[in-house]
Amino acid sequence: MGLLSEQDVQYLKDLFGKEMKDDVKILIFKSDDKSRCEYCDITVSVFSEVAEIDDRIKLEVYDIDDDEAIANKYDIKGRVPAIVFLTADGTDKGVRYFGIPSGHEFSTVIQNIISFSNGAKPDLSQNSINKISQIDVPTEILVFVTPTCPYCPRAVLLAHEIAKANDNIKAAMVEANEFPEWSMEHGVSAVPHIVVNDETAFIGAYPEDMFVDHVVQHVLG
Amino acid sequence: MFFVGGESNVKDYYDVVVIGGGPGGMSAALYAGRAGLSCLVIEGNSTGGQMNETDIIENYPGFEEIKGPVLGEKMRRHAEKFGAQFHTATVIDADFSGQVKRVFLDDGKVISSEVVIISTGASHRKLNVPGEKELSGKGVSYCATCDGHFFKGKKVALVGGGDTAMTEALYLANLVDEVLVIHRRDKLRATKVLQDRAFEKPNIKFIWNSIVKEIKGSDKVEKVVVENKKTGEITELEVDGIFIAIGVVPNSGIFKGKVHMDSQGYIVTDENMETNVKGVYAAGDVRSKKLRQVVTAVAEGAIAASHAAETYFG
Repeated sequence: MGLLSEQDVQYLKDLFGKEMKDDVKILIFKSDDKSRCEYCDITVSVFSEVAEIDDRIKLEVYDIDDDEAIANKYDIKGRVPAIVFLTADGTDKGVRYFGIPSGHEFSTVIQNIISFSNGAKPDLSQNSINKISQIDVPTEILVFVTPTCPYCPRAVLLAHEIAKANDNIKAAMVEANEFPEWSMEHGVSAVPHIVVNDETAFIGAYPEDMFVDHVVQHVLG
Repeated sequence: MFFVGGESNVKDYYDVVVIGGGPGGMSAALYAGRAGLSCLVIEGNSTGGQMNETDIIENYPGFEEIKGPVLGEKMRRHAEKFGAQFHTATVIDADFSGQVKRVFLDDGKVISSEVVIISTGASHRKLNVPGEKELSGKGVSYCATCDGHFFKGKKVALVGGGDTAMTEALYLANLVDEVLVIHRRDKLRATKVLQDRAFEKPNIKFIWNSIVKEIKGSDKVEKVVVENKKTGEITELEVDGIFIAIGVVPNSGIFKGKVHMDSQGYIVTDENMETNVKGVYAAGDVRSKKLRQVVTAVAEGAIAASHAAETYFG
């Protein structure tokens, strides 16, 4: 029995059939060392099941140690499992996941597959895109989540859309339970917890306008 | 568990726009879809509404025991099967002045429709005590299912005495060392079965007749200052976190002045769930009523969508 039910698979088949255009590349970085990555196997399994649903989803699985050069290229820094989304021609829009996107978070994976298949254009208001374009320094947005948090996927998607809008910006979901030290470092005790350039920017679910303003203000002061 | 809900391209007109993806909204979408109407559900977070924060639901007929988010996903899939579409965004404004209604979304989209069903639900009521805002996200939480994991092996306070409070206390008791329930009265308001279960848990302790005066801590929650209403005694409890479940306030702010509301901001409707504005309905927790449950929300969503289908598309 797979991780996705037959109904899920049929649902996704219909959805991808209707909404996908070009290929999407998904890179997964994993480690076979269970003590280092409890959820790597299941991450690879669930993404494999998704990739089987539509030929246009191209999955590439790399070992964090054996494929060091590629891991460095995408700035994975040993954090596994890591997931990177690329467009058909291999364009990196800075969209990342660290830890397994399970529970509510998995819906953002589906959204990103559709988005990257359609050129990964940011689904944001023009006003937000204008504000984000002001960011002219390398910026990393981390959204700490738990899989049981219903407010988190929206925050993750907003961060990912912001990354798609500006090549200076990378945005990642971080599953807090899988990275306790990383979470402790930023004092995460409620999610979504948003870190911008290594400092806590805000905690909680914000609508697009406020989210964008907080990120821009945090970077540009 | 993997929730696979995805989105299709959003159009700019639907027969029915449902604002809010809780049980009321999803039931309305199901009924609208079956009536042959095009329907968009706009949801600010994951679909399911407050069910998403409910570990176990055991009073929705037909399901002796089901996880809240799972019931949410089932309702969504059911509505989608009959053509309803879902979109994640926050509604920031609405125009109900014409026959065609418009809602404005935070992602810049504007959606028009003949009928709007408001099922925006309700949010957690705040304590409004010193330290609550400052330490929010630093040990102050309103969502046990979201944040409970961060308090494994620790001691937390939980404020409230209703069904939600006891459901959260029971959820937390399986994760943390000790849950101190702080309640303003000398007995719980929660349903009997939940009370019994909470009293049986050895690591749930009750502090009766007491209210929270202040939450203290420099960088994270360290102490909760509690006053016993009967004796006037002030106690400081050392805890690592505090969960607040003292009821809800309606998510109706953006509709103020647009539809009639009661003194608490809940939307007033007639027996068909229609507001004073023709073609604008309310269903679920945002509506002025007594019993706020999944079962009442879905009933109201069904009534609203059926009436709308008959009245405006018949």
